Order: sequence, then structure tokens, then C-alpha cells
Amino acid sequence: MSFLEIRNLSKSFDTTQVIVDFSIEIVEATLCCLVGPNGAGKTTTMDLITGRQKPTSGQILFCNDDITGLDEHEIARRGIGRKFQVPAVFRDLSVRQNLEVAYSKSTNPIKNMFRFRATGFAQKLEEVATLAGLTDRLNVEAGILSHGETQWLEIGMVLMQDPRLLLLDEPVAGMTEAEIEKTVSIFKGLKATNTLVVVEHDMAFVREIADVVTVMHMGSLLAHGPIAEIEANARVREVYLGDAEA
Amino acid sequence: MNIYHNVKAQWLAYAAFFAVLALVPVLVSDSFLLNQFATYGVFGLLALSISLCWGFGGILNLGQGIPFGLGAYGMAMTMQMQSQDASNPLPPFMLNNSLDHLPMFWEPFRNTTLGIVLSLIVPTLFCAIFGGLMFRARVSGPFFAIMTLAMLSAWYTLILDVQPYTNGANGITPPSPLKLGEIVVDPYSPAAYWTVLVLLLVATVTAKLMTLSRFGLVVQAVRGDAERVRFLGYNVAGYETLVYTISGFIAAVAGCCWVMLTQYVSPAQFDTTFSLSMVIWAGIGGRLSLLGAIVGAFLIQGAQSYLGDTFLNTWLLVLGGFFILVVRFLPKGLAGLVESALGKLSSRRGRDDGNGVAASRLVPQPGE
Repeated sequence: MSFLEIRNLSKSFDTTQVIVDFSIEIVEATLCCLVGPNGAGKTTTMDLITGRQKPTSGQILFCNDDITGLDEHEIARRGIGRKFQVPAVFRDLSVRQNLEVAYSKSTNPIKNMFRFRATGFAQKLEEVATLAGLTDRLNVEAGILSHGETQWLEIGMVLMQDPRLLLLDEPVAGMTEAEIEKTVSIFKGLKATNTLVVVEHDMAFVREIADVVTVMHMGSLLAHGPIAEIEANARVREVYLGDAEA
Repeated sequence: MNIYHNVKAQWLAYAAFFAVLALVPVLVSDSFLLNQFATYGVFGLLALSISLCWGFGGILNLGQGIPFGLGAYGMAMTMQMQSQDASNPLPPFMLNNSLDHLPMFWEPFRNTTLGIVLSLIVPTLFCAIFGGLMFRARVSGPFFAIMTLAMLSAWYTLILDVQPYTNGANGITPPSPLKLGEIVVDPYSPAAYWTVLVLLLVATVTAKLMTLSRFGLVVQAVRGDAERVRFLGYNVAGYETLVYTISGFIAAVAGCCWVMLTQYVSPAQFDTTFSLSMVIWAGIGGRLSLLGAIVGAFLIQGAQSYLGDTFLNTWLLVLGGFFILVVRFLPKGLAGLVESALGKLSSRRGRDDGNGVAASRLVPQPGE
């Protein structure tokens, strides 16, 4: 049984084909890095998985359920959490409130009118805040956080959701070496219980964390396999690694 | 920590505010003045509804006159029918417009309870349907504001146009005050003032609790970034529709009270100027603060009553100019002024304690 399966996915905007017959299977409890040159369709693939955009054709199966074309919130409730490329946090709410919104065990608006504290929130908050290093910053407005802290906050928000599949779009962009190291150790820890798909340009980071690497080029699959295999692949070197390493 | 953000202090401020309002009927013996203060309470309800929808939900609503006007017409129809009887079932204006029987949609208003229930349910239902359609299609921001404005104009024209049923531009003037069972609610009595005050109190406390709940938190997150909230598993359209509908319900309550106090309703209640002034009250008082918005309504309407005569034709110009100044220099309104003053005060106190943290940077932690 595959955890996440994408079958013959295509997406076009007018006449431009952005994703062309893309198929991939993600195995549970692994970390897959999605790489490719700019415009390869990495973020669009994430948009299609999370329902932000609807595919022109093809199917997306999550735990054998067809989730193609569902709304964003329905997909999120099934256990897919997403971190955006440009960190998206609620700038006029405090760090604590950001994490509280993300702790979305109950989503019914009417029931939520009568709830002032979510059960189990305090414990989860402590766990995630410690992990993300935000314990001292909980009462600060999210809008005044540094770029690195904002990245952490959004990763923390995804963790609050307790998703089974985490889609992380460039999680270490703008982080310092030390912060990247910390991210690596967190992601390695998450792999035991969660499945992660990470879009990243930083090849050193990819080498460090990836179980499998998927290379996209011009909207379709170029290569899929362990990092050593990918780096040895002549076509991959030609379109991507060659330029990146140069 | 800025005391402005302390939830306990906020409740104390609410208590003090309503205690002052409760003193009014004791101090004011002039029944005309009391009636006028009661109508300010109605404006307070409207400002509260705008603050909930626009301040907390980020949904700019320029058509709050719709639920207000529908509620007001419902109440006027109910009160009109109280003066009719079996031998004389037609309101005089219908006779003048040569109708020979009561229109179908007037029938339920012969029963007072049913009439008042309808006055509240019809506008609420309208908001739920209109809001649901708009928010599901992800119409938001200025586009939603324009839709509400267009809808408001449509209602204005409709009410004006069907003269035989609504008496057109003349409006409906129920000849006698509202009767609830055996009780006659004299609009100039303290009882009328108390009715409005209690409704304002209940609406304010409910709205405040709502903003402190998880629902309120998600609504504030939607105001910041609706797109992001969807990916956390919340049905954003549902939250938006609900906050818009609740805000509409409060406006409908205000509409009913308005007619109870004035015994008059006309298409002017659907006038764009009126709906825009509600937004101005909330903007000047502080849309992010429920209490601020209510105070804004009191101040502006009070100024209009007492200074309006002096300026007469230029009043709207004065109001507009004042609004521009507030938007430019006080984006959080008068409540924002209080917030920063208290922030300065507590940060000075913080420094005295040897604590260098800028307290004004700290934000509330509800429930603590």
C-alpha cells in the first residue's frame, strides 16, 4: 500500500503545461526531497496535492483515498500539513495564538464559539515551542519575528497540526548554518512517525536528510531514487546538478 | 504588559461603561432626552455589529443597513398591524394606494410574536444566504464591500418602488407604541431605554466572549491571511458567513429597537449614507475594540445632534474630514489612542522595575 500516490498528474494554465504526466509514489515514514531547477513545477505539485489548485487531469491518492479536487481544508483535515515557500504566519497575532490556531483538532465554527481552550493544547504547545526554540517568544507579535524565527514558527504551526504527511516548501531558506543543522536533526526525528516531502535547493541539506530524491524538470519526472543514484545520473547532472555545483 | 490587553481589565472597563449608562435614566428626567439616548443605544448596537464583522473578521461591510432596515420594516409592520382589527384590516396607506386586501406577506405580522420573530429571522437568513454565496465563491476584501453596497442600493430601490406594500418614500408610521401583551412600551419611558440598554449589554458581552473563544481566534487569523487558515483545516467560508450573519442579526435587533423608539421607518434606513456612517463610527471609535466602536457611535451621533445644527449642511463634510484624519493618523481609532497611552504608561513602569522589555510590543494572552 502506498502512502501518497500521484498518477499521471497534469496541470495547464491556458496553453502552458506546467505539470506534464507526473507520477510518483511516496512511501510512509520516509523523507523525500523534491528538487529541480526554477520553474520545474515543484511548488505547483504541492499546490495540487494540497488542493490550492485543481489538476487538469490525473489522480492523487492519499492512504488509498482519492483526494483529487477536494477543498484545501478537507485535505488538511485528512492529515496533510504544509509550510509555504514565503513563510505565511498571522503577523498581528502572537506566536502563541499562531500555534493555537494551527492546533486544529476541532474545526467546527459553532462548536468553537463555546471553546476557550483546546484540550491538550498546553502540552502540545510546550513540546512544539521547545522544538522550534520559541519558548521565550510566545507572547511576541509574529510580525516582529526575524526571518529565521518566522520559518521556525511556520514549521511549528505545521507540527501543531499533527499531520501524517508534511509538505515543506524551502524550509531552510534564510536560515544560518547552526539553524540548518538544528532543522536537520528535527526532520530526522520526525521521520520515525511522519512522512515528509521537502522542496529544497540547498544540495548539502538534501544530501544530509533525504531518503529518496525526486528530480523534476519542465513539469515531469526526471529521476527518482536514493541520493547517490541521483547524483550519478547523467541527465540530472546535465539539467540541474551541473549548474548548481558549478 | 500593557493593561489595555489585560482581559480582566477589559471586562472591568465594560462593567464601568454599562454602569454609567445605567445611571442615565436616574439622572435624566427629560423624556425626550431619554428617548434620544435610547436611540444612541441603537447606534451602539450597529457600531458593535460593524466592529465584530470588520474589526475582528476583516470583512468590510458597507451594507449593514440591509439587516437593520429589514428588521425595522418588520417591526413597523408588526406595530402597524397592532392598530388594525378584523373590521379594519388594511393600514390607511394601503387604502390610499387602492389595495382591497392585505398582501400575503403582511399576514404573519398580525401576530405580534410571529412578527417580531420574522423581523429578526428574515434579515439573519438573508445575511446567511448572501454571505454564504459570496464567501463560498471567495469574494473578499473590497469586492465584498462593493457587493454589499450594490445589494443595499437594490433593497433601497425595491422598498421605494413597491409603494402599495411599503408606502414608498413616506415609509410606515405606526400610530401607537409597541404593545407586548398587556404592556405598552412607551418610547419616551425609562422602560424603553432599559430595553435597549439590556439588549446592548447582552450583545456586547456575547460578542466579547465570541472574540475570546477559539472561533474568535480563527476569525482573527482569517482577517490576517484567509488562505493560510484553509491549509490548517478550517472551512474559512463557514467562519466568514457565521461572523457576517451574527453581525447581521445584531443589526436586525437594532432595527427593531429603532422602530420601537421612533415609531417610524422609511427607505432612508437603507440609505448608503447611513450604512457608511456606521462604518465611520466604528472607524473613529476603533474597529478593533467593541467598546471603542460603541463609544465612537455615541460621540459622532451626539456631536451630530448638538453640533449638527450649527454646521447644518456641512455636517457630512465635517464628518468626512474627521474620518480622513482618523484613518491617516489614528488607524486604530480612539481606542488605539488609549492603547498606546496605556502602553507608554506600563512600559515606563516596566523600566522602573528594571525590566527593559517594550511592553507595548506584547500582545494579549486570552484566558490567562
